[in-house]
Formats: sequence, C-alpha cells, structure tokens
Amino acid sequence: MIFKLAWRNITTRPLSSGLSIILLSSSIMVIVLSILTMKQMDSKFKENANKIDLVVGAKGSRLQSVLCNVFHIDYPNGNIQLKDVNFLSKHPFVKNAVPISLGDSYKKHRIIGTNPSFIKQIYNASISKGNIFSKPLEVVIGANVAAKLKLVIGDSFNGSHGIEESIHDHDDFLYHIVGVLNPTGDIIDQLIVTSLESVWQVHPHDYKKGSFDLKTAEEHEHHSHDHVSENYKDNKEITAVLVNYSSPRAKFSIPGIVNQKNSLMGAEPAIEIKQLLDLIEPAVNILYVLSLFIFGLSLFSIVVTLLNSMKDRKYEISMMRVGGASVRLIFISIVLEGFFIGLIGSVSGLLLGHSIMGIMARFLNFKYNYQFSGLVFDKLELVLLLLTILIGMIAAIFPAITAYRLDISKTLKNKI
Amino acid sequence: MLLAYIFGLNQKKLIRTNNLTVKYGDVHIKFPNINLDYGGQLLIIGKSGSGKTSLLNILGGLMPPETGNVLVNDLDFFSLSRNKRDNFRGQQIGFVFQTPHFIKSLSVNDNLRFSQYMSSKVNQSKIDMLLKKVDILKLKNSKIQNLSEGEKQRISIIRALVNQPSIVFADEPTSALDDDSCFNVVDLLTNLSQENNTTLVIVTHDKRLKDKFSNQINLNDF
Repeated sequence: MIFKLAWRNITTRPLSSGLSIILLSSSIMVIVLSILTMKQMDSKFKENANKIDLVVGAKGSRLQSVLCNVFHIDYPNGNIQLKDVNFLSKHPFVKNAVPISLGDSYKKHRIIGTNPSFIKQIYNASISKGNIFSKPLEVVIGANVAAKLKLVIGDSFNGSHGIEESIHDHDDFLYHIVGVLNPTGDIIDQLIVTSLESVWQVHPHDYKKGSFDLKTAEEHEHHSHDHVSENYKDNKEITAVLVNYSSPRAKFSIPGIVNQKNSLMGAEPAIEIKQLLDLIEPAVNILYVLSLFIFGLSLFSIVVTLLNSMKDRKYEISMMRVGGASVRLIFISIVLEGFFIGLIGSVSGLLLGHSIMGIMARFLNFKYNYQFSGLVFDKLELVLLLLTILIGMIAAIFPAITAYRLDISKTLKNKI
Repeated sequence: MLLAYIFGLNQKKLIRTNNLTVKYGDVHIKFPNINLDYGGQLLIIGKSGSGKTSLLNILGGLMPPETGNVLVNDLDFFSLSRNKRDNFRGQQIGFVFQTPHFIKSLSVNDNLRFSQYMSSKVNQSKIDMLLKKVDILKLKNSKIQNLSEGEKQRISIIRALVNQPSIVFADEPTSALDDDSCFNVVDLLTNLSQENNTTLVIVTHDKRLKDKFSNQINLNDF
C-alpha cells in the first residue's frame, strides 16, 4: 500500500515529477554515453595498438602514422623505399616486419597491399572460406566486409583510388575475392587484404610519389595505369612497415635506429594512443562535469518537486496522521517517492545512453568502419544506478523531514 | 463494591478528562470534565473561539493540553510515545471534519483501504458494506476530485468508521451544509455509530443539532 501511495503521488503530478525524471535521465544518459565511448575507444585502440610494437613510415606526424597504418582512419605521411627498411626483417630483435602499402579502397573499406604475415602474424587471423591471395589482384576480405557488402568468394570489384573519398575508379583492374577471414574483433575485419604486387600493379607511378599525394582529382587527370616496369622494381615503395619485437630490448634500440635514418620515422602505437587518449580526456572530463551539473540540477529539482508536493499535500499528510499513520510511515512514503524518481530517472538514462550509443555506433561503423556497440556494459553503470537511487532517496529526506515536523492540529485548524 | 457496581459508580468509562486547559497567548481556556460511556453520544456546542476544536484535538490526541489529562480506556493518552499514540488513534479513533480531506492520488476505495492499512485492519468486505449502506458503492473506484462535497462528506464518515473505532470525533460536520444535508449527515453519523457500537462526540456551533442529542455540553457556560 505504501508503495502504491508513493507511486500514485508521482504519477498524479506528471509535470513536476516528469521534469525531475527528465533532468536526472539526461544527466545519466550523458554520463553513460561518456563511459561507453571512452571504454570502447580505449579497448579498441589498445587492442589494435598492442598488436604492433612499432610503425615505421615516412617522416611526419607520429600519431598520423599510427592512425593511418594501424587504425586505418587517417592519411599516410608519405611513402618509404622498401630497400630502406629491409634491415628490419633481419634484425635479431625483430619478430615480424610486415610491409603495407595503401592507396585504394572499395566502398570505404581500405585495400591493403601486404604479405600473408599481415593476416597470420600481426592479427592472428585465419581463413574461413577460400584461400590466401597468391597472385596480384587476388584479395582476401575481412569478416565485416563480407557481411556488410555481401561479398563472397568469386566476386570481383574495381577498387577506387583514395581512402575516404573516391577520386576515381580503377576500371582497368579487377580485384578477385579468393578468401574470407574469420571474424577477429580487430580492425582486420574491416579490411580488404591483397599482395603488395597488386598495389604496385594498380599504381605504377604513384608509389614513387607516395600514394597519398594522390588525394586530389586534379593530379589524376593524366593518370595512367601502366603495368609495373622492371625499372621500378629496385625502387619499390611502400607506406609503412608494421614491426613486432622479439625481445623487450628492442624497445630501446629499434626506434632509435629507425629515427636516425633520414627517410624513416618510427612511431610506437601504444605511446601515440596513450597521448591521443590523454588529449581526448579533457573533452570527456568536460562532458562529465556538464553531466554532473545537470545531475546536481536534477537533484535540486527532486527536492523542489517534493517540497512543493508537501505544501500541496499538507492537509493530506495531516489527515494521514489523524488516521493513525506514524511519522515514520509518512517519512518512508516520501523517501519512496525519491526512490521511484531516482529509479525511473536512472533506468531511463541508462536505456537512453545505450540507445544513443547504438545509433552512434551505426554511424561510426558506416563512416569509419569502426565497430562500436550500444550493447556494451560497464560495471560503473551499476554503481551509477545504485548511487542515483540512493541520492534520489537522500534528496527526498529534506521534504520528508518537513512532513515529519508538520503540526497536525495547527494545519487542520488553518483550513478547517 | 457491589453497590458501586449496581449504581454504576465504578463502571469503566471510555473517555474521562480531568481539569483540561489550553493556553493561547495570554488567554487560558478551561474545559469541563467529560465522562463518556461506551457507545454514548455527546454534543459539544459553543461559539467561535470557545475552544471547541482545541478540546476535540486534545480528546483525539492531536495536541497536548496545557494542564490536565485525558484517559481513554483508562489509558493516559499523552503518556504514550508519539508512535504509540498515532497507532492508538488509528486503532481506536475516527475523525470527521467540516472539510473532508483525502489522498488525492488514490481512489475512494484506496483511501478507505489506506485508512485500514494504517491501523493494520485491511478488510475489503467492511468497506464494501459501508459504501453499500450509504448508497455510494458505485463510487468505489472514482477519483476523489470527481466527487461532490456531499459525497466526500459521506465517504469521510465511512473512513472514520471503517476501522471499527471505539470513538468517532466529528468537528463541525454540518456547518457548511443546508438543512436537508445537515440532518442526513447527522443521521448517518448517529446511526452508523450506533450500529458499530461506537461512541460519538460532535463539536459544533450549529444550533440545528441541539435537539438531536440529549447529552450535551455547552462550552459557553464555562
């Protein structure tokens, strides 16, 4: 009965109770959204970053080099000569040194020119159907590419020049799908993997200039697609080399060796990602502060709502007291109202937060091919739920004390 | 002892008051001693400011007197803790006021059930029986704000009796009513009280009730 009374007291004042719930729900939503975004960014970035110890690419921005060559969400700094990085694969501290060459994409999924070690050694991925590429223009596609673009073994497609925006299609070159990878949860699920020779074949001139100098259409007006000539073989260019160390000592020697070379730059994904997350953190902190401010407002709103409600209900409360309701019962019924407002506000905030994260995830998947989800949960959310309910009840204590102290005889005398 | 029993001298009274006074600023109001039997009926009349409502509040345990004491069932009401007094009031006393107040968020039935809940005597059949008796069973699930003043007053009488209390205190229950409604409400109160063997105390300045009760105290005489 006491639960029914508390519930009815909320539902019969939909505007004032609704305002408190909306404020509470909004603040919880922003907090949940921040938690989920940071959690997923952190885990996705770290997961992928931890697979590669060092990215060796052209000089420029280290962060850009990592974002481009590890996360595939930025443009490369430029190209490097394959012969300049040959020493890496021979170094005793290096376990894997996998060259990659970028330049093309298909429906926003990057086509990576590399060797089979990229699949097996770097991402520990396996073939689900078909085989690994063995000839130029044969490709293996990631699990999400296959699912999203409904591609199967035997299908062919023309790659588009460019990464984000297609500058033009390589109509003369048809990629053939020979294999599909098992899902890994890593970035490779979003990639189309082929041999380095495929990229060189499609871009016989470009590799000399650096694939991503070719970002504008103007530069491509006279672009021709000659086959790779023998003259270029000694000067093969790639975008980067992904390095795994075989010894912890490599961390103190390899980056130094690489950075001493005029044309090369080494970037450690773990360090760059930590710096990136450190850069993002203040923005997230502002969001947290903003949501805490709304949270504070919502608690204030609960107090005001319940106080106003007490004012409206003082005759009701007096009558309840006259009818034998103990002050404890009345106190509990008002704290229960705070409990319900806290419960509804926090649950709806959590649901909203996850729903918006789900919608954002669709956009992020579409725009950046990055797998975010609204169905990820964090134990902090449970703490948030319990804390909000508790604070809702605490906010109700002051109005409850007002009701507790109500002088029945004076109240009734004023009215009756 | 036997003589005392035969002549009712030692008969246990439901309400017994001794030298009750209240103080409002510099004004002291002294009340007559009251001795009321089980099932009895008493009309307390007096002008405005004579202390009628204060006396009723003291008798009902809603406010303490300045001096004196109230014994209900030989129990000194104000010697009880606040919680015990609330509980005792819920179990033993019903109130009817001039303006009936209800929990607006609850239906008629839920208001009556809540009254029973407060005294741990939930009994739906009792509610239905009383609603039927005053011919408002159809309003059982209505919202309070949809009722007329007359309907509200009848429901407030049912609420006062729904826990089968020993006493019902009615404070100006007819003052705002026309003659017909006035006598209907008084008849309802007296009849239901008699049927439930409940003691009835009405305080009013409404002179129309003077001829309805043989047992009367006029506070203007004190």
